[in-house]
Amino acid sequence: MRLKEEFRRFFSLLADELHYTAQYLGSRRGVLPGSVVQQFYVMGYKSFPIVALITFLVGVTISLTSAAQLRLFGADIYLADLIGLAMIKELVPLMTGIMLAGKVGASITAEISTMKVMDEIDALRTMGIVPEKFLMAPRLIAITLVVPLLVAMADTVGVAGGVLVAQVALGTPPAVFLRKVFDIVTLSDFLVGIVKTLVFGWAVVVGAGFKGFFIERGAEGVGKATTESVVLAISLIIGLDCVFAFILY
Amino acid sequence: MENIRAVDLDVGYGRETILRNLNFTLPPGRITVIVGESGSGKSTLLKTLIGLTRPLRGDVYWGEERIDYDSERILGALYRRIGVLYQNNALLNSLTLYENVALPIRIHRPETPWTAEADRVREVLGMVGLVGADHKYPFELSGGMRKRGALARSMVLGPEIVFCDEPSAGLDPLTALGLDDLLRSLQRSRGVTFVAVTHELRSIGRIADRILLLRGDGIHFDGTLAEMEASEDEYLRSFFLRTDRHAD
Repeated sequence: MRLKEEFRRFFSLLADELHYTAQYLGSRRGVLPGSVVQQFYVMGYKSFPIVALITFLVGVTISLTSAAQLRLFGADIYLADLIGLAMIKELVPLMTGIMLAGKVGASITAEISTMKVMDEIDALRTMGIVPEKFLMAPRLIAITLVVPLLVAMADTVGVAGGVLVAQVALGTPPAVFLRKVFDIVTLSDFLVGIVKTLVFGWAVVVGAGFKGFFIERGAEGVGKATTESVVLAISLIIGLDCVFAFILY
Repeated sequence: MENIRAVDLDVGYGRETILRNLNFTLPPGRITVIVGESGSGKSTLLKTLIGLTRPLRGDVYWGEERIDYDSERILGALYRRIGVLYQNNALLNSLTLYENVALPIRIHRPETPWTAEADRVREVLGMVGLVGADHKYPFELSGGMRKRGALARSMVLGPEIVFCDEPSAGLDPLTALGLDDLLRSLQRSRGVTFVAVTHELRSIGRIADRILLLRGDGIHFDGTLAEMEASEDEYLRSFFLRTDRHAD
């Protein structure tokens, strides 16, 4: 019964957020001017370093593991193909989504749930401001703008990890490695990565809003909601990735 | 200015009814204080009057218009006519005091020139004695300043009625006295109607034109301060004497 109610609330909030975001894009009212830019800065600029670091390390790790196995079969040359496709279509979207869940999602839930505990959400409502619009529309728009940039950067850095390993472990020159990557990876592979990460990003923001708005009262509830928000976001990301795998392969 | 009427109103949370069959009218241009013991439903009643909690039964009228809790349009129109001062002050911590006070203008009247906005914000900050603090964030202000800042925000669109939830809560006696004086002066100078939930006896004595005392699941007393003081009702006397002793 509780699960059913949670589902109802989640999809009801999702519908509200989509409606209000579309309404804001049409009317440009109901949201504080400048808040999209501010969210763009918080979600994008502040997430860049951690996303870059993690995708680089994943690129290096996967390359080292794969190189060792490929070498056994004398198939070293396929490292570029493997890294190119694995990073761009699978690992970058997944790792970027998970990083967004931990950094952006947790921050959104903590902020909104604290606002709820401090009566700020009620205050917005009684000022005639729709909190679901005021707080969520800028975040949904910002994540939509941020994700393609994050993915492009993460793809570059992740493949750079592969280039480094190929040079150091296999002696493959970077130019050769990159030529192979560009041969095997198509524009549609790159776009698939962006679309997947966009969907993951939306799931993170909507899930974080859901946990923030429906917090049980009290400071203890803020911590609980924040933890649950990250767990929910990662579960949604893995579930959606599975759905993508069925659709794409 | 219109009065607010509750007609056969039941309020509560979920399926639990806290107050039943309430019938009262809040007169315009006066300060009405809702009092009662902890858990008596004061804040729930306030939330129902401002549209945050749906009544379990009955209706609330603003003048002749019934509040339809399902209508975003009617609630939106209602919220342009009221201000609310929350117990936690509820200023947005990510905005400066100026931005907090300007927020209702920026949302509801985005076409307002910034000079007009600045004039209005400075005017209401002046009304509550906060000129010069406009660039500070809420966490840089004292409890009393935050309350006055929240009052300024609730007044910025020129509301007909301001609802206050425990306005003196958490304030030292001198600051609470200052806030009471401020509410009284705003009511006199601007003709604003105030509805305050409180259990601070000193505040009640200073600001109340009218008192609604909640007890059990209904209204135990509804009258003026003078009527309350003259009453021989045992519960009424014991409630205020008890609170008085506690306050002293």
